[in-house]
Amino acid sequence: MSSRATDAKAGRLSEVIRENRTRVTVLAVLLFLFLAAFGGLDREDWFSTIMQGLSVGAITFLVASGLSLIFGLMDVLNLAHGEIFMLGAYVGWTIYTRFDTALDIVIPLLLLAAPFLLMPLWRMLASRLGATPGVRRAIGWGLLLGGGLVTWLSVTRFPLVIWDPGDFASSPGSFSTQIDLNVLEPLVADSFSGAAALAIIGLILGGSILALAMSSFQRTATEAAVGTRRMVTAAGLVALAIILHLSKSSINEWVFGLSTSWRFFLAMAIAVVIGAAVGAFIEVLLIRPLYDRPIYQLMLTLGVGFILIEVVREVWGRPEFTMARPALFNGTGEGCPGQGIGGFFSGCSTVEMFGARLRVYNEGFIVLVGILVLVGVTLLLKRTRIGMIIRAGVQDPDMVEALGINVRRVFTLVFALGSSLAALGGVLAAPSIGLSTGMGALFLLSALIALAIGGLTSFTGAAAGAVLVGLLQQLIIRFGQQGIDLPFLAEPFKPTPTLVPAASVLLMVIVLLLLPAGLFGRSER
Amino acid sequence: MTSANPSVAAGFRSWLQRRRGLLLLAAALVLFPFVISILIDGQGIGAVFSNDQGNARFLQGLAIEIFILALYAISYDLVLGITGLLSFGHAMFFAVGAYGFGILLKSFDIAWPVVVLILLVAALVQAVLFAIVLPRVKGITFALVTLGLASVFWIVIQSSDLSDWAGAEIGLQGVQPPVWFLDTTNERFAFYLVTIAILIGVFIVYTRIVDSPAGKVMVAIRENEDRALMLGYNTFWFKLLALTVASITAVLAGSLHALHQPIVTPNVAGLGFTVTALLMILIGGVGTISGALVGAAVFRLLQFYLDKWFGGASDLLIGLAYVAIVLYLPFGIVGTWRAKAVQRQKGLDFVGSLVSGRKR
Amino acid sequence: MSLLEMRDVHTFIGQFHILEGITLEVPEGAIVALLGRNGAGKTTTLKTAMGLTPLRSGTITFDGVDISERRSFDIASMGLGYVPENRAIFADLSVEENLRIAERQKGDFARKEEFIFDLFPDLKRLIRLPGTNLSGGQQQMLAVARALVADNRLLLIDEPSEGLAPVIIEHMMEAIRQLSDRSTVLLVEQNFIVASRLAHHYVIVEEGRTVQAGAMADLVNDEETIKKYLGAA
Repeated sequence: MSSRATDAKAGRLSEVIRENRTRVTVLAVLLFLFLAAFGGLDREDWFSTIMQGLSVGAITFLVASGLSLIFGLMDVLNLAHGEIFMLGAYVGWTIYTRFDTALDIVIPLLLLAAPFLLMPLWRMLASRLGATPGVRRAIGWGLLLGGGLVTWLSVTRFPLVIWDPGDFASSPGSFSTQIDLNVLEPLVADSFSGAAALAIIGLILGGSILALAMSSFQRTATEAAVGTRRMVTAAGLVALAIILHLSKSSINEWVFGLSTSWRFFLAMAIAVVIGAAVGAFIEVLLIRPLYDRPIYQLMLTLGVGFILIEVVREVWGRPEFTMARPALFNGTGEGCPGQGIGGFFSGCSTVEMFGARLRVYNEGFIVLVGILVLVGVTLLLKRTRIGMIIRAGVQDPDMVEALGINVRRVFTLVFALGSSLAALGGVLAAPSIGLSTGMGALFLLSALIALAIGGLTSFTGAAAGAVLVGLLQQLIIRFGQQGIDLPFLAEPFKPTPTLVPAASVLLMVIVLLLLPAGLFGRSER
Repeated sequence: MTSANPSVAAGFRSWLQRRRGLLLLAAALVLFPFVISILIDGQGIGAVFSNDQGNARFLQGLAIEIFILALYAISYDLVLGITGLLSFGHAMFFAVGAYGFGILLKSFDIAWPVVVLILLVAALVQAVLFAIVLPRVKGITFALVTLGLASVFWIVIQSSDLSDWAGAEIGLQGVQPPVWFLDTTNERFAFYLVTIAILIGVFIVYTRIVDSPAGKVMVAIRENEDRALMLGYNTFWFKLLALTVASITAVLAGSLHALHQPIVTPNVAGLGFTVTALLMILIGGVGTISGALVGAAVFRLLQFYLDKWFGGASDLLIGLAYVAIVLYLPFGIVGTWRAKAVQRQKGLDFVGSLVSGRKR
Repeated sequence: MSLLEMRDVHTFIGQFHILEGITLEVPEGAIVALLGRNGAGKTTTLKTAMGLTPLRSGTITFDGVDISERRSFDIASMGLGYVPENRAIFADLSVEENLRIAERQKGDFARKEEFIFDLFPDLKRLIRLPGTNLSGGQQQMLAVARALVADNRLLLIDEPSEGLAPVIIEHMMEAIRQLSDRSTVLLVEQNFIVASRLAHHYVIVEEGRTVQAGAMADLVNDEETIKKYLGAA
């Protein structure tokens, strides 16, 4: 018995060594290749290339980290994650550039969302709608149509200052230019068409009917009382909406009075909140019914991504536009560029370090936020109870549930957390790469490659993979400018930008062939 | 000779018997333009042959699009629905056909049978390219690899370096039909018949593959690969077979697409076009060969009419429809219909239990 | 009144009908052994009681409350602790974290610390080690200890002696005897000697059905039944 145990232990040990031998070899070869590549660069180039790689890596990491947390815990590869990243950018841009319109749309949304907090009440009502599920479902469809109609009628009564992407003078692109030149004027606010109270009540009613319709589709009716806390929160949302509406002009005035830096931080904060809300919404309404059909979850997230793209196209228009960099990172003139580490705090747009010129926003701020998120999430995972539950849930969600922990709530939380990180990445990326409906797919691809390289369920792997992909991309771009002297070629070989994704995919395929679970992933799941 | 004849005739008769539905469908499709021409356009039968403008010609065009999409969907169904390989790069299979056929004809002026041969080789190569990682990875990781490969193709094909051949972001234009029966502009009815013939041929081949021992192994791989391995099958070769057949079919569909459409856009290489394939087989029913045909027809008609009625919002509506189907109609039209039939026959609640699943 | 009652419980896993009518009662304060051959449905019975595999028909009540439709975390919160067959230690968590995660109220672990380390002194020594580094016996101890952190009235313990050395089995039996002073125990045990020495009552399961139940003292002398349902004892 004991000798068998020792044998097994020895066997396991040698297995671990064998496994890690490939891993260590791959890491060493990668390190060597990168060092060799950097060695081929001019001296003043290598530092800026590293920093640019880290910057791209930081954004990729923000997308990849959420993907990795979500996939690790619930085995859902959220292919809509890139589009949440994109949504974060667009929402951030809106808060930053056109806060007035954002406020306008928030008010009806709050009113519409309030009834959804009273879900137990609607479920109870729904269970009394009809005897058979068929009848209930039929009534549900009717309610859905009716609720949609009421909502639409009420929303159109609201004073919404929406830009017109079709008209250049009032399109997102021209707003960006205006804010760049500091000539952005608040749009003129409309007033209610018809009685304000009617529109407000109509919207709450619409939300209630929609919530009731949704609960009537549910299979099992769980008996649960509506807690007072839910009631108070719902009432609070309605009150908040009304207060926001009444004090709209003074809020707008205050926000537009802020410096662009503060507005940018506000944009980051709100985009994070919106990202979390969208994530939670997707998980609860769409992913949750499908936990038994993982392939369908994957297909579903694809669909959600396309819906998000179409929504963005409808609201913000198809053309790409830019986001002005906040004043804090955009200084020029006297004393610029800044020198050394201190230069990052000089308010200049660029800084000189080790003979390289870096952009304070791209290579300073983005990298800093990336590191902060890495440290923050690691601490969350290692030091808090919820982190402990997440780590345990990655391994065995059923057992966690059997300990009396509501794992579904943790799922929702992690989905919201992951989505908020992606949205944060979106806002951060917007001033440096601009806004387009394709940005989500691009960074999703990078993030997926980073994850596959680093190991799908490993948070550390996500970080390492993201940095690796970022460095690789920047290296190739740099070599595209400089050219590589290859034997048998007269001209230096210049990789075109097209080869950037190709190189990352190639790296992914090679790593996966050697280590199917990625650099840091566990081999079996 | 004399003894063989009756048995051949009998075999043919029994084949007719088995394929009755398919042959009726083919006949109906061939007659369809004439019916439209007479009833709706008020023109004669000759209008179809002389390629006159009208609903008959337009609807033939729409039908050809459906047939091409059906070829594409059927090939994806073999990979995903039958063999259970989660490929997110299937659009590349189609796009290699569309761009390859177009570029070889237009820029290199190669005789079209040679082009077909070259594309056949290309189809084999890309199937092997996809399969290269298969011995080591499966499931989600395979999906990532295929997604990555296809994304590279998508980015490369619209890069400015290739704009002389592929037309960059605008797409490939000006592909001239090499022979008269592949000329969709001037000989639409001929092209229509060609596509019908190809689709029916492919459909028969696919049903035979699925019913063959190899097809059984493919289904076994989908259901439980470890068990298939334990039974002594080298599952890799069957996966490669499925990918190869699907690749050839999709390349064929892409080539027809390049002939039929005035412009091949880079969209056919994007993830969105893989989602289109997914949507079509979801509508029809994953894992059902005939479902892919139904799905393609429903999808294209839905897209056409939504576009007509709602314009720019149609893509949004299609996205919503897709999500609704994933949530509420997981077995698609054909799959649900068959499940209902099974339920009626055996009174089994089996599928119901799959749908409702277990709580968690 | 019995603490746990299962009445004609049917469970499917996928399309397979695993439980085809399980009926059993677990009286408060007792140790009940669930016996039967491999694949008879003992583990599924525990999982069904725990809400981890949903039942198709029948009822399960805990302390008079119907828990058949409840979700697992809800059932656990009512005071059921579960020690699964494969131990299901969280490999990435340290021993202490493995215990703390089972807290249902703040301070659960602090209150039970002494009791747990009295039962399993080894664990105190290993407290900082990650779960992967434990031996099989230590993992089993940790799995049982984890179920003791919260105030559980009923413990469902699946195969506590499986794969353990005889010395450790003795230790484990002693621990179960001691903890049964505080909670009721429903035990799945392949090893009849262990089961007969621990349990007061028995339930025999065969092909997903309850076939016999009674006092353990009666079963020990009933060689025919033992041979028929449990193989040679």
